[in-house]
Amino acid sequence: MEIKADVCNGCGQCVIVCPVQAIKMVQKKAFIDKDLCVECSVCYRSADCPVNAIRMKKLKWPREIRIPFSNVITTHKITGIAGRGTEEMKTNDVTNRYHFGEFGVSIELGRPGLGTRLGNIELFTTKFAEIGVIYEEKSPVTALIIDGKGHINEEIKNERVLSAIIEFKIPTEKLARILKVIREIENEIDTVFSVGIVSRIEENNTDEIINQLSQLGFDVRPNAKINIGLGKP
Amino acid sequence: MKLGGTKIITHTLHRKGKENDLKQDYVLLAMFASGINDNYDDSRQKLMKIAEIMNNHNPVNIMPKFGWSVSSTITATFDNIETVKQVIRELKEEDFGISIVISGLISEIKNVLKDLNLDIHTVHFSLGGNFGRKELLPNEKILEITTMCGHHTVSPQSISSYVELIKRGKMTLEKAAEKLTRPCVCGIVNTSRVLKILNSLVKEYKS
Repeated sequence: MEIKADVCNGCGQCVIVCPVQAIKMVQKKAFIDKDLCVECSVCYRSADCPVNAIRMKKLKWPREIRIPFSNVITTHKITGIAGRGTEEMKTNDVTNRYHFGEFGVSIELGRPGLGTRLGNIELFTTKFAEIGVIYEEKSPVTALIIDGKGHINEEIKNERVLSAIIEFKIPTEKLARILKVIREIENEIDTVFSVGIVSRIEENNTDEIINQLSQLGFDVRPNAKINIGLGKP
Repeated sequence: MKLGGTKIITHTLHRKGKENDLKQDYVLLAMFASGINDNYDDSRQKLMKIAEIMNNHNPVNIMPKFGWSVSSTITATFDNIETVKQVIRELKEEDFGISIVISGLISEIKNVLKDLNLDIHTVHFSLGGNFGRKELLPNEKILEITTMCGHHTVSPQSISSYVELIKRGKMTLEKAAEKLTRPCVCGIVNTSRVLKILNSLVKEYKS
């Protein structure tokens, strides 16, 4: 993103709407901190700039990687859908991506709202490599992993994005080890993250999974995403 | 608002709020399974029909209409479970074969499914709280609004700024709620819930 200083009238609307506080007023003109900016385009779409001073610039590698992880209306080359996630459990009644005897895990780095450097992904993926997980092949994060040890491309590690979702599935017996890693990384990471657990459900019995997670030391929120099984192949 | 036509996926897990507040916050989502449902000639028609059914039940927010003809997903937000039940009943009767996901209170959704003789297929649970540097986050009330857009297009400082303007009589609650809803292109920010939270924030500021 770019704000033309010679056009900006200093109204400050873009400063207010920036989700990551990357825009500041400097000498009565709005100024984008390029390091903090995640290229989400919210300022361009929602600030109602009265003088059209906000521009979307064509970006070069590696900065361009910020766009698909931050700008919701940009379609990922890998997933074919806009946004950072995949179809995951939303279409599981059609795809059967997650079976009984497995858990899906989604770890969204930078959520809610703080953003993340892509390098944080490696904190998790190098440890998950030791446990053995099956990554969601259409996840944009999976495409960043360059080897079996969970490393990601060095060039992109410092790129800052609004959020990045590590999506994978595991056999049920590996859940405790995965959650242990999550607890360990909590103390190392420089941002926040949110965690979701996907499970097939038998006879509407959600309590069994909630109790299992509780025994492992994790509370479950009362609200969830529920696929109600109306989809057909 | 400027917006290019594209497929849009939504992001409705991890919404914050107390159980009582979440009783007024449900998001319905219909989605093609890529490479499967969208192979049929009438798929787009089906998705458009689902959008019309959702729209006929007065959602508090819905994906903008121009998205209906290009998106692989349709989303709408409702402020009560009874309306959700009516929509799901209609979708079940129509038997479109498109995946439907309800985001909201597990206990309430289970009751609806029981009444309609439907079963849960898969659940995406949200583990409680946040992880990592929680001390960097804004307060819970602000998060209740910002987490309604899972893509985090609603900025925390816009909420504080609008509350200040409302307090000084320079912006109405309704205008502030509308402005906070606009950045979210999926139509999943619950406008009526935003109004209530804004109202309580204004009262807090005044006291």
